[in-house]
Amino acid sequence: MQAQLLWRTLPSLVLGLLFLSMPAMGSCSDKYPELLGQLQKQADFMQHTNTLLDLYIRSQGLDKNGLKEHCRERPGAFPSKDALQRLSRRVFLRTLDTTLGHVLLRLAALEQDIPKAQDLEMLSVVKLNIRGFKNNIHCMAQLLPGSSETTEPTPTSPGASPSPTPTLDTFQRRLEGCRFLHGYHRFMRSVGQVFREWGKSLSRSRRHSPHQGLLKGARRMQLSGRNKRLMPRVQLAPGSHRGAPGG
Amino acid sequence: MALFSVFQTTFLLALLSLRTHQSEVLSEPLPWAPESLKVSINSTHQCLHLQWSVHNLAYHQELKMVFQIEISRIKTSNVIWVENYSTTVKGNQVLHWSWESKLPLECAKHFIRMRSAVDDATTPEQRFWSNWSSWEEVDVQNSLGHEPLFVFPKDKLVEEGSNVTICYVSRSQQNNISCYLEGVRMQGQQLDPNVSMFNLYDVAFIRETGTNIYCKVDRGDDIKGIVLFVSKILEEPKDFSCETRDFQTLSCTWDPGRDTGLLKQLPQSYTLFESFSGKKILCKHKSWCNWQVAPESQEMYNFTLTAENYLRKRSVHILFNLAHRVHPMAPFNVLFNDVSVTNATITWKVHSTGNYYTLLCQVELYGEGKVIQKHNVSVKVNGELVLSGLQPDTEYSAQVRCANANHFWKWSEWTRQNFTTVEAAPSEAPDIWRNVKSVQGYCVVTLFWKPLTRLQANGEILFYNIVVKDLDRPSGLQLLSVPAPANRTELTLDQRSYQIHVTANNSVGTSPASVLVVSGDPGDEEVEEERVKGTEGGFSLSWKPQLGNITGYVVEWCDRPRDPPCDLQWKHLGPNTTSTVISSDAFRPGVRYNFRIYGISTEMVPHLLEKKTGYSQELAPSDNPRVVMSNLTSHSFTLSWKDYSTESQPSFIRGYHVYLKSKAGQCHPGSEKAVLSDDSVCCKYKIDDPKQKTFVVGNLQPESFYEFLVTPYSAVGEGPHGAFTKVTTPDEYSPMLIRIILPMIFCILLIMILCYLKSQWMKEKCYPDIPDPYKSSVLSLIKSKENPRLTIMNIKDCVPDTIEVVNKHEGTGKSPTEPEAAKPTYLYLLPAEESYSGPGPCICFENFTYNQAASDSASCGHVPVPTKAPSQLGLLTSSENLLTALEKNCMNSLEEIPAGESSLNYVSQVASPMSGEKSSLPTNPPQPELCSEYKMQMAIPLGLAAPSSSGSSSLSSITLLDEGEHYH
Repeated sequence: MQAQLLWRTLPSLVLGLLFLSMPAMGSCSDKYPELLGQLQKQADFMQHTNTLLDLYIRSQGLDKNGLKEHCRERPGAFPSKDALQRLSRRVFLRTLDTTLGHVLLRLAALEQDIPKAQDLEMLSVVKLNIRGFKNNIHCMAQLLPGSSETTEPTPTSPGASPSPTPTLDTFQRRLEGCRFLHGYHRFMRSVGQVFREWGKSLSRSRRHSPHQGLLKGARRMQLSGRNKRLMPRVQLAPGSHRGAPGG
Repeated sequence: MALFSVFQTTFLLALLSLRTHQSEVLSEPLPWAPESLKVSINSTHQCLHLQWSVHNLAYHQELKMVFQIEISRIKTSNVIWVENYSTTVKGNQVLHWSWESKLPLECAKHFIRMRSAVDDATTPEQRFWSNWSSWEEVDVQNSLGHEPLFVFPKDKLVEEGSNVTICYVSRSQQNNISCYLEGVRMQGQQLDPNVSMFNLYDVAFIRETGTNIYCKVDRGDDIKGIVLFVSKILEEPKDFSCETRDFQTLSCTWDPGRDTGLLKQLPQSYTLFESFSGKKILCKHKSWCNWQVAPESQEMYNFTLTAENYLRKRSVHILFNLAHRVHPMAPFNVLFNDVSVTNATITWKVHSTGNYYTLLCQVELYGEGKVIQKHNVSVKVNGELVLSGLQPDTEYSAQVRCANANHFWKWSEWTRQNFTTVEAAPSEAPDIWRNVKSVQGYCVVTLFWKPLTRLQANGEILFYNIVVKDLDRPSGLQLLSVPAPANRTELTLDQRSYQIHVTANNSVGTSPASVLVVSGDPGDEEVEEERVKGTEGGFSLSWKPQLGNITGYVVEWCDRPRDPPCDLQWKHLGPNTTSTVISSDAFRPGVRYNFRIYGISTEMVPHLLEKKTGYSQELAPSDNPRVVMSNLTSHSFTLSWKDYSTESQPSFIRGYHVYLKSKAGQCHPGSEKAVLSDDSVCCKYKIDDPKQKTFVVGNLQPESFYEFLVTPYSAVGEGPHGAFTKVTTPDEYSPMLIRIILPMIFCILLIMILCYLKSQWMKEKCYPDIPDPYKSSVLSLIKSKENPRLTIMNIKDCVPDTIEVVNKHEGTGKSPTEPEAAKPTYLYLLPAEESYSGPGPCICFENFTYNQAASDSASCGHVPVPTKAPSQLGLLTSSENLLTALEKNCMNSLEEIPAGESSLNYVSQVASPMSGEKSSLPTNPPQPELCSEYKMQMAIPLGLAAPSSSGSSSLSSITLLDEGEHYH
């Protein structure tokens, strides 16, 4: 059991250090492909349910027939893959940053329901990873053309917090937490796919012109900036503020 | 008495009147009936909370009353609880009472009513109850909301082993609802069409995050549930005790027992209450707590430790006198004074515990890691103790601890300190032994000694002094000093007797001397060796007691006999000892150890008495001998393994087994069948004498294939069954044939050698180059039998007739198949005499040009021709013309015909004395002196000779030539 935990924890720690490497150095990487590749790998890693959801289900006793079937993402809790793909790069990054901010808040709430120290340790590693990922998003946003205009992540709106209402009893809170984490992993999978598409367009543009990918992204950003009212709206959570902030 | 009867009657009347009055009042509310009854609920704790006041009770009035409370469920007639609540009621007091429902309050309506009575303890059966209050209805379901399904109770905390009632409330009767406990379906009981309850008995702790219980609408996605937090039962603290170390603080400790498992939901607390002082503290730690001792010197303490959580409270008590709970601090300032060879004084100090207490201190002296002395000392402030009986130059460790001497509670911790005693001269003589070898007329004595033990050495041994005293010359003394830690030295002595003294020296003095005499005779006289059987404990040796002046015995052996130096060991034994057990950690199984037992005479001269040899554990032989096979015949062969050493084997070799495999598989007498580990069958010959190292394997079949293996055996088994050696016996006749053929070959070789050596003679005899007609047997044969007239033709009778010259074209590039090959040229010789009328039967001519070298070189120009020879001989009248023509022809041929293309065929008639030595011919041409030196050509009748020469008769002339002389 301890070996299994170690096996799970070690890659997370390594990845966490990877996440934090750039902010620790005090500056962002100016290598777009490298940063994109990192973001993609990190998103791929965070999509795995064994990093968080499985741990939660086991600790809360939700791994029973008839119960685990109800641990499914609530529609609208996280932006869908289609919605993410329709966003411009800049808005996508903002949305991602905001959503992960909510996730961090929610994880802090979930900590209260996790009694075991080793499970808490795992949770803190996950939070560390998410913070690192957010930093990388920040760096990526700076690499996009026109980054000097708005480089700060979109602030979290109070209504967008996906935390359940405090009146919920423990059982309902438990189920909601499970559903939330399920959505989180699905969301990260979608994010990874979006980044993969970015990578594909980069390699295509490289074949054509070394900087065309970035320029294309910039054009798309400007387009989205002009037509931001027409952008597809993203539902972050039930009762949350609808639409991509700033998008 | 009459007065008493009157009083009694009056009392009864008064009582009757009172009873009558009460009966009248019953129709109206009693003055102290409950009023303003209000019911509230606490869903979390499933409690109904009642509050009311008492009607018409004066402000200052105080009355002991009892309230009877009835609780009904679902309907008023279904009373589930009746309780009398007694209390003292003051004026205007609002009374409270709570009731915990087993069924969650949300699951059913509850009805509550109450009545009151004055609580007269003397006559409880005669209470006059007030009227019942009206029913108060509690219906929580109305406030639940509009969700289709609810499960209760929410987040309930219970101890394991409790019974819990769960219920669900459904908004629709159509729904079929199933409920599960941790995935296992529960069977419930329907309270009403919308409500079912489930009784859980003896619930168990499953996990820290609680037990999940949930209900689902069949064929629906709705799920509702609760988490039941089951805690382990809070245990009573164990081993609760308090003690002081400084009379200022009491330290109380306990074992809290196992965890409840629900530390977040069900935190537990520990409080310490002292009844004499009335003080109470909340402990910050779950297993210990500090209590400040009262400055007013409180002697007795009565503590109550209470462990408490929401569900349970556990308490333990202790009562003690503070002076009996003193745990002194560890002594300090432990020192050693006046340390001598065998004594030392230890001093220490203790922390002050007031002047009223005496401490008992314990001193333990450690030597070599073990307690060797233990002392108890009473101490007020400073302790002191003299440690005696110590060993010189020895490191000791002493430790001190103390406890309350009057009321022992606990020892303090140990305080430890080391010291070392002073050195003294070595107390024992070194244990010595020797090994004597005789080398080139000298005695080489290797002197060994064992290092003194620490107890014997009394200090660090610096060197060993060795005094060698010549017993034959008392004045001859030799002193050697060998620095420690050497344990041997080598002395080269002559063949006299010497007395050797050995002493060990440290910085303080010298040890007694060990004495040994080495005589000129090493004393290695022949003593028969005996075998001993060793065990795991060692070798048990015994020997015959020696009569006479014996001061003791020495047993000598080597710990590593296979590895030189063999690590010589010895053991001194007393004169009355005739047996001992030799054991050593170095003894290994499968190693032969040799023991020598010496007797030491009073003159300290050792004499070899006995030799023993044995194994601590015999092992099976590890290797087989290398076998040499010889004398292989068709019926036997001989095996020998002379170089096989039985001494180096891991056990005593008792003999050998010879295994023989054959296809026939039959074993002859003297052998027995044996089945090997690979299930193959072979014949086994047993050799019982380990010294016998040859064996003849007989009774074999010729031309048969055999395999053999020789392996030693001992008491514990035989050697490895390794690879068999293969052998095939020869056939029976081969030796005989060899006996015949070899001499024959020898004879033939001898004849060939002789023939070679006498080849010239043989050639002349058997196949001469130019047959000598005189010696021809044919001639003699013809002469004698057929034609007596035939004789050797005289040269004078020969008239040259014709010389046949053959021109042969070779190497001209023409194909040998071309028709113009060799056209013979004929030289016609004129008859020298008139009588010559034609070609005779034979033409004979004198050949002046014949020379072997010329013939070989196929060149006329290389051969010096004796030009005058014909004239000298005068054989041919027209010879000059002929020779001229010949020479001319020859020269022409040299000029016109390439060498090798022309040859002159004729019959050689010169018997060159240098025949066969061609190279010498040109320089030493033959010098024919007389006609007799010419070999005359035999005249052969036509019938015997080749056909007559014609245009194509060149071949006929060739047939007369020796094959080795043909040139075409």
